[in-house]
Amino acid sequence: MGVVHAKVPQNSENSREECSSDPYFHNPNNPTKQRSEYGDPDPDAKDIVVEGIAARVDKIHIDGLQRTKDDYLEDCFEDLLRASNFQDVLVGAHRARLKLEELGCFKNIAVFVDTSKGPGSTPDGLDVTFNVKEYRRLTGGVSTHVGDNEGSLMIGMRAPNMYGRGERVQVEYSHGSKKNTQFSVSFIKPLKGNYRPVITASIFQNHSEFSASGFRERGRGILLDFGFHSYPLVKHNIQWEGIIRDLGVAGKSTSFEVREQSGVTLKSALKHILSVDMRDDNIFPTGGTFIQNTTEVAGLGGDVGFLKNELYLQSNVSLFEDITIQSCLGFGIMRGIGNDMKLGISDKFYLGGPLSLRGFQTRGAGPHADGDATGALGYWAAGLHLFTPLPFRPGKGGLGELFRTHFFINTGNISEFTIEEGEPITNILKNNLRLSYGMGLALRLGNMARIELNYCIPQIFDENDLTQPGVQFGIGMRFL
Amino acid sequence: MQDSDTLKKPIIPSKLITEKFTIELGAQEPWPNDVKLYQPYEVEQILLPDNANCLAVQAFLRMCQLHYDVEPRANAEDMSPTGKVPFIKCGAFVVSELEGIVQFVNNRGITLTDKLDNEAKSDMRAYMCLVHNVLEKAELYICWMDKETYNDVTSIRHGSVYPWPLNHIQNWSKRRSVMKNLKVWNWYDKTLEEVFQEVENACQALSDRLDDKEYFFGSHTELDALVFGHVYSMCTSCLRLNEFQNILKNFPRLLSHCKRISELMGKDTDPVEDLLKVPQN
Repeated sequence: MGVVHAKVPQNSENSREECSSDPYFHNPNNPTKQRSEYGDPDPDAKDIVVEGIAARVDKIHIDGLQRTKDDYLEDCFEDLLRASNFQDVLVGAHRARLKLEELGCFKNIAVFVDTSKGPGSTPDGLDVTFNVKEYRRLTGGVSTHVGDNEGSLMIGMRAPNMYGRGERVQVEYSHGSKKNTQFSVSFIKPLKGNYRPVITASIFQNHSEFSASGFRERGRGILLDFGFHSYPLVKHNIQWEGIIRDLGVAGKSTSFEVREQSGVTLKSALKHILSVDMRDDNIFPTGGTFIQNTTEVAGLGGDVGFLKNELYLQSNVSLFEDITIQSCLGFGIMRGIGNDMKLGISDKFYLGGPLSLRGFQTRGAGPHADGDATGALGYWAAGLHLFTPLPFRPGKGGLGELFRTHFFINTGNISEFTIEEGEPITNILKNNLRLSYGMGLALRLGNMARIELNYCIPQIFDENDLTQPGVQFGIGMRFL
Repeated sequence: MQDSDTLKKPIIPSKLITEKFTIELGAQEPWPNDVKLYQPYEVEQILLPDNANCLAVQAFLRMCQLHYDVEPRANAEDMSPTGKVPFIKCGAFVVSELEGIVQFVNNRGITLTDKLDNEAKSDMRAYMCLVHNVLEKAELYICWMDKETYNDVTSIRHGSVYPWPLNHIQNWSKRRSVMKNLKVWNWYDKTLEEVFQEVENACQALSDRLDDKEYFFGSHTELDALVFGHVYSMCTSCLRLNEFQNILKNFPRLLSHCKRISELMGKDTDPVEDLLKVPQN
């Protein structure tokens, strides 16, 4: 049980009033009381004009707190305490509820607003009661995930809110349809502050197979992550990763160039990820921009060294109500540092596949050695998409909303991008350009993934590229 | 740029077809000039058992008068298809270990054992097994099980190609896997004395078979290459335990056999000659 006291600036008497710590419930029989219960609209409710009604919050009760510490919740109620009219109270209560949800400590949260009674109550005073239910000490579950054209099953266990301030330990194991497995144990600790900082420390092991490049890899490592928001929508992650990677060839037919890179390496890298997400939806946005920039410096110890920067931009414009134009741009460049430091196929850039340059096989564009993609030090790729509802709109407002027709043009280039004197940079970038176009169907899968079934026509490609003209199936979270 | 032929997809994945055909076609091709033999760095990295096997393969190729270039690689062991050094790359083929390479060379019609009858051939194979089962295991035992050797030589050399702290992790995991294998072969519980006794017995058997002949079966065979590999690397090993040398100096026949092949290989014969000069006990 936690109680937050409201302060009255002009009345010092009331500023330190004692609040009852009893659970406070509203009286539904009293018609003068205004009630707001989120997520459960009352069928008997009348419309009331809430604008301009003076109100202030006298007390905030939080019912159902067991191990969560009061000071961890205080920040959630700032807006609510500042409210001066009834509308502000409602908005503030809603925000507080969202913030409480974000803390990840509570299973469900109900909000009650009632007039304030008893000693110390002000004429316009309201009591706001949050009924929360904490997660159990240990929770677990099985879920399915989708990413990079692979579906995977994840088994997870979580100990949420261990010490009462949002700390949690997470154990996850996932097994993918392409035999990629991943296991991780992480400790996550949110910190107090305006920038919503979060510290994550995890150890992990993963097995991945890259059949398009003819190798498989086992990675074991440590990841330390510090995440914070410099503006509400601008998220930063500063990471350090120490990983031991054991690279092995996938089969007898693997090219010797890939075989040469087998063995064990140690990578120690600092990474900064900046993401700004202003889109209105993850899967089929109708407006807004998404920017992600990843900068990585490897070589602080270990024997892998490079500088790498990758940028992804997505911008959406709605032409009519649900006809959207989406433009995407990806650009990546990396350079090795020092002669002793390795820069291998695990870290290089690849292009091609249903999630990137459509109409090409996975990693199908760019350098190959005996059919195995060996990657390059730079790439750029761009896509222009037109998403429209299904023709004649079957299932409008229901099932049909999950589908979109999809027209696209993809273009891009992958190479080392070495700048030679006298050659303008635009020439280097557009030398050996690839282009493909096509149309198809896109399907929203939950709020997490998109499925695309496209008919693709690769128009311009290099003779060494592996194209995939015709129908191509893609499933994933991030598409070009 | 768009070519309709390139858009047609073969019914069978192209990789599978090429693999099958190249293996059959490979037999008729002459020995290429760019054959490379991959092995760990001799000076700072290689360990006694690996060195023995690499020398054996080099000797075998030299006996067959096949051209090769040695290509040292820190990750040679990881590159090898069987996880063991050495291996050769001949055109599109990657073949590892002495037996595999002998078979591969035989497939091209080159053999050192065509004059041998079946009995001699199986005899030869038995002696090769003896070398693998006794000398190689003993070398592994000394390198990884003997604390002094492990700390002073093996861990430093094996870890030399990895950055800290990966060197310790790799040493630890390699040691664990070698120990596991030694357990399977029932060598784990042996004492150092027992191991040296086994080596002495094996040398005795080889020396008896060699008798006063120049080579085990009249002319060069792969057995000669294998025995040379092990004897030579034992003579030249920088292990602090010179027990191997003490054993070998009692077998002058093996030493002269080794000297003969080192001359063929153009290798330094001094370490072998030094041992030959030592009076036997």
